[in-house]
Amino acid sequence: MAAGADADTAADVEAHSDVWVFVEQHAGDVAGVTWELLGKGRELADQKDEDLVALVMGEAVRETDIPEEAIARGADRVLVADDPAFEPYRADPYGEQFRHLVEVRKPDIALIGGTHTGRDFAGRVAVPTHAGLTADTTELEITDEQYEMRRPAFGGDALATIICPNHRPQMSTVRPGVFDAPEPDESQEGAVEDVEVVVGEDETLTEVLEREVGDVADITDAEIVVAGGMGLEGDVDPLWDLADLLGGEVAATREVVEEGWIEPARQVGQTGKTVRPKLYIAVGISGAIQHVEGMDDSETVIAINNDANAPIFENADYGIVADYADVLPELIEILRERLDAQEVTA
Amino acid sequence: MTDGWNIVVCVKQVPDADEVSIDPETGILNRADAEAVMNSPDYNAVEAALEVRDVVGGTVTAVTMGPASADEVLQVAVGMGADNAVLLTDRAFGGSDTWPTSLALARAAEELDADVVFGGEETTDSSTGQVPPGIAAHNDWAQLTYVEGLEPRPEEDRLVAKRDVEGGYERVAADLPVVVAMEFGENEPRTAGLHRKIYAETDFEPVEWSAADIGVEDEVGLAVSPTQVGGMATAEPVPREQEMVEGVEELADHIVEVL
Ligand SMILES: Cc1cc2nc3c(=O)[nH]c(=O)nc-3n(C[C@H](O)[C@H](O)[C@H](O)COP(=O)(O)OP(=O)(O)OC[C@H]3O[C@@H](n4cnc5c(N)ncnc54)[C@H](O)[C@@H]3O)c2cc1C
Ligand SMILES: Nc1ncnc2c1ncn2[C@@H]1O[C@H](COP(=O)(O)O)[C@@H](O)[C@H]1O
Repeated sequence: MAAGADADTAADVEAHSDVWVFVEQHAGDVAGVTWELLGKGRELADQKDEDLVALVMGEAVRETDIPEEAIARGADRVLVADDPAFEPYRADPYGEQFRHLVEVRKPDIALIGGTHTGRDFAGRVAVPTHAGLTADTTELEITDEQYEMRRPAFGGDALATIICPNHRPQMSTVRPGVFDAPEPDESQEGAVEDVEVVVGEDETLTEVLEREVGDVADITDAEIVVAGGMGLEGDVDPLWDLADLLGGEVAATREVVEEGWIEPARQVGQTGKTVRPKLYIAVGISGAIQHVEGMDDSETVIAINNDANAPIFENADYGIVADYADVLPELIEILRERLDAQEVTA
Repeated sequence: MTDGWNIVVCVKQVPDADEVSIDPETGILNRADAEAVMNSPDYNAVEAALEVRDVVGGTVTAVTMGPASADEVLQVAVGMGADNAVLLTDRAFGGSDTWPTSLALARAAEELDADVVFGGEETTDSSTGQVPPGIAAHNDWAQLTYVEGLEPRPEEDRLVAKRDVEGGYERVAADLPVVVAMEFGENEPRTAGLHRKIYAETDFEPVEWSAADIGVEDEVGLAVSPTQVGGMATAEPVPREQEMVEGVEELADHIVEVL
């Protein structure tokens, strides 16, 4: 599989068709980004008048309702690679199996969630097949001339358009929360097919010794997000109080996640999630470009920061220069009264 | 292995992320003014490489692919404690996307007979995170990404890593040779001692390899890069009210308005 040897062989572009979506599942739980990609993939496949194909790998996944759900969410066909080697996830068997299927079936476009899992193995497909791989894509579009993958560059200051004219498949990893997930429609029809498994335990290079995963929060669908930064110095309780009151989710900057004050699944930004709530409340967040990139599609942004020069104010609709410790308790009290009053009149 | 591991650490020179700006009039990216620095996540990679060497023994070789001036980042790595450094520099590398970049680094790692190759989570200029898995894929080696901590097992020829996964963590054992991408911020990079720093900046000379030296002269550069940049647009700033309010009451008004 030494990929370098045929480096100058561009792909036979015409021989490739269909849009593939990788179904990321761990122990039967499907990552939300999968459904988002099926939604976008459906659009692309319709535009090309080709099939949308979902690829599921795992152990005993055939018996779960995952293949049917993929069809209900838009897939025309579901390929299932079922083997103990695929549970828990490891880069080498996933990459090798995916590579094999790409080489045999020649998809034109492949979409993979930009999670740690997706970003871990995507290169193990793209390198041996000499495919074009665009990381962390936020826009995908088929124009009159070509397929264009767009991604933030320079920490979000610019948007780069990446094209892949001569190599196939055209692969991207896509950050969670960027596209809308279609609701399942049980009346949709599609075919489920078991594929040949080409990996075995003998060839694997890695062994998972231990895996500890709790409930994974999904902040990408939240209508209201209350996010905290280093300005809170670990005092995150008022964030949860405010989020609970407003029926929203708590989120955080990367620094806060690194401190362990808030779980990693709630990180917003370039290396975290993209959120698009109606209301984003940023508390004690400086507004670094890598953070703003993940919340810039919020409808209304409110910022609380004690430094009038914090860049977050340029990215906010309403801001208050004040200590969070003074603002939050008062804000919670006022909002509680008003919401109670609204309920009485409603 | 009694003589320890051959450890390679990949570091990249990038424009200082805080200084890259876009000309609001022309929309042109202003990179020239930004100081060239070592990619910040690569400090974590160098630190991890040195920590593993301190436990297992062996050598740490810093490698970068870039213009001749990129030897500055090798000096940083050597100042921190890397033993040797290799500069991959050649006009042929120009225009390389992650596919040939990871190929060149993969061949250099083979040339150095690497047991472990370290990289950072991603670069602040291209931020793909694809290069370390690309190195592993080109060489058909094991890989460990988003690594929070390491337990070297030289007696088993394996490296065990704690990896960050969605909603938790996992511990994975990988056979050598292995490529490790450290999660950004997971360790405290050491600062260079004064003497070491002076040595790195004055006496020290990195080894220089061309594309031909590692046998990739026909497999790098724009021509073999599957992806191309088709255009670069200034990200439109999202229009915001940017209204400052005086009191908490007013802030509450705006929140209730949205609800
Ligand atoms: C490769 C890379 C990827 C990254 N990815 C991400 C990412 O995905 N998400 C992300 O968030 N970051 C990311 N970062 C980090 C990012 O650059 C910033 O370092 C980070 O967002 C800053 O977090 P912060 O705003 O919480 O902390 P700080 O920048 O320290 O800001 C704290 C703010 O709190 C304010 N403050 C202090 N005390 C108070 C108080 N009492 N009341 C009110 N306000 C107060 C301060 O004025 C300051 O503005 C990334 C960095 C790199 C290099
Ligand atoms: N030109 C390069 N020279 C050396 N190392 C690199 C180079 N490009 C990327 N890397 C390594 O790969 C990591 C991820 O980079 P990237 O995939 O570009 O986001 C970096 O943190 C470096 O460790």
